[in-house]
Amino acid sequence: MAKRVDERGAPVPPEDGARDPVVTVRSLTKRFGELVAVDDLTFSLHSGTVTGFLGPNGAGKTTTLRLLLGLAEPSTGDALVFGRRYRELNDPARRVGAVLESSDFHPGRSGRHHLRALALAAEIPPARVEEVLALVELEAAAGRRVRTYSLGMRQRLSLAGALLGDPELLVLDEPANGLDPAGVHWLRRFLRLFAEQGRTVLVSSHMLAEAALTVDDVVIIDRGRWVAAGRLDELTEHGRTLEDVFLELTGAVS
Amino acid sequence: MKALLRAELLKQGSTRTGLGLFAAMLGLVLLAVLLHSLLPAEDLARRNSQLVVLGRGEFLGTLFAALLGALSITSEIRHGTIRPTFLFTPRRGRVVAAKVSVSILIGAGFGLVAGAVAAAVGTAALRTRGIDVRLDGGDDALLVLGAGAAGALWAAIGVGVGALVRHQVPTMIGICAWLLFVEGLLAGDLVGLGEVGRYLPGAAAAAISGQEPGTLLAPAAGLVLLALYAAVAALAGWFATSRRDVV
Repeated sequence: MAKRVDERGAPVPPEDGARDPVVTVRSLTKRFGELVAVDDLTFSLHSGTVTGFLGPNGAGKTTTLRLLLGLAEPSTGDALVFGRRYRELNDPARRVGAVLESSDFHPGRSGRHHLRALALAAEIPPARVEEVLALVELEAAAGRRVRTYSLGMRQRLSLAGALLGDPELLVLDEPANGLDPAGVHWLRRFLRLFAEQGRTVLVSSHMLAEAALTVDDVVIIDRGRWVAAGRLDELTEHGRTLEDVFLELTGAVS
Repeated sequence: MKALLRAELLKQGSTRTGLGLFAAMLGLVLLAVLLHSLLPAEDLARRNSQLVVLGRGEFLGTLFAALLGALSITSEIRHGTIRPTFLFTPRRGRVVAAKVSVSILIGAGFGLVAGAVAAAVGTAALRTRGIDVRLDGGDDALLVLGAGAAGALWAAIGVGVGALVRHQVPTMIGICAWLLFVEGLLAGDLVGLGEVGRYLPGAAAAAISGQEPGTLLAPAAGLVLLALYAAVAALAGWFATSRRDVV
């Protein structure tokens, strides 16, 4: 199927509007008692882009992602993937791959067994486990217990889990945390290639300078509230850095 | 559902936790049976005392099956694997159902092995001391099969309690404390629940294998009652896991 692209070579959604945005967040609010972690947040993502979901620590990024992935229920509003609540997707692992914490392993289980258990649950063939292990360059360590893995190896194993179902959307929470420069470079290239196949990446980060190197679009939040969204190159024109933009905008809303 | 059962079986088989629990259970069964068989010969001559000695298998099989069931969910919460698990199976109730099923299977195995080892070793120990063993093949079969049933049902209770409490250490301590002390205290002279004590879940488990006849319920009644406890615990765990946000 030919993909429509704009003058920058980025895919654009069909005009008829028949296709749902990959991610739709509408008036999303999550309260924990008195604390409003996410406050009336609205944004959407279309396919073929890498979107940076940016904000300081405690801005509500992780909470938003948990709501989007069906791990928590919104207090009000909607968080939809492919037009549906995550829990109502028919084959979620084949549509969405996600990493919320890159340390979500049993230390006494091998990387391969970790992936096989997930694959079994989603009825993904075992050959795919070997494919994703090769993709993240973990074949040699796959038989070892995760306890023996370095931080970078754990990050890649998490990513392998997210890729098991060959998803259309990848959601990663702070994936560059703890990676060495080579690891960050590898991840950046990987996400670019993923989006160039017409797929979509939503990647949260509090590291604005790093994010600016990877993403096409940004959604910026602060204290649970929407601050700005749009194309990175438009937000940062006139030689401003993402950091300048962020400080200016968050200063304005306080 | 078959896919989820296979996934849960692989999770159980791919760490050393299950094997470690099994080995600890076997060691304690041997120790408990051998220590009990050192009681004065005149005490051990009574049929009820012999049931107590051989019943250590049911007791420890039940305890370790419950811990295994509880670990199947609290370990996932502790290590965070619960997040990928629920991302792959967002209908969380189905994950709990799979854990209950697999834990029942392994718990039954724990109970059967513990019951059989206790019966074999206990009988041999009594004979070695020259004590007339007053239990027949029917008693032994009930001890072993009853321990299997008690292990299976308490494993389901373990999953339910683990799903409700979620934190691993309080869950494990709670289960151990309940089976080792709390029930005994409640049923004992101090609190004096007396008659009611036999309806508690640990006592119901012991009743299934025919222990303390006359004091505890009949085996069939114990089985029905413990199955009710297991169903309530599993349903509560299923409901809480489906409803609450994932930590």
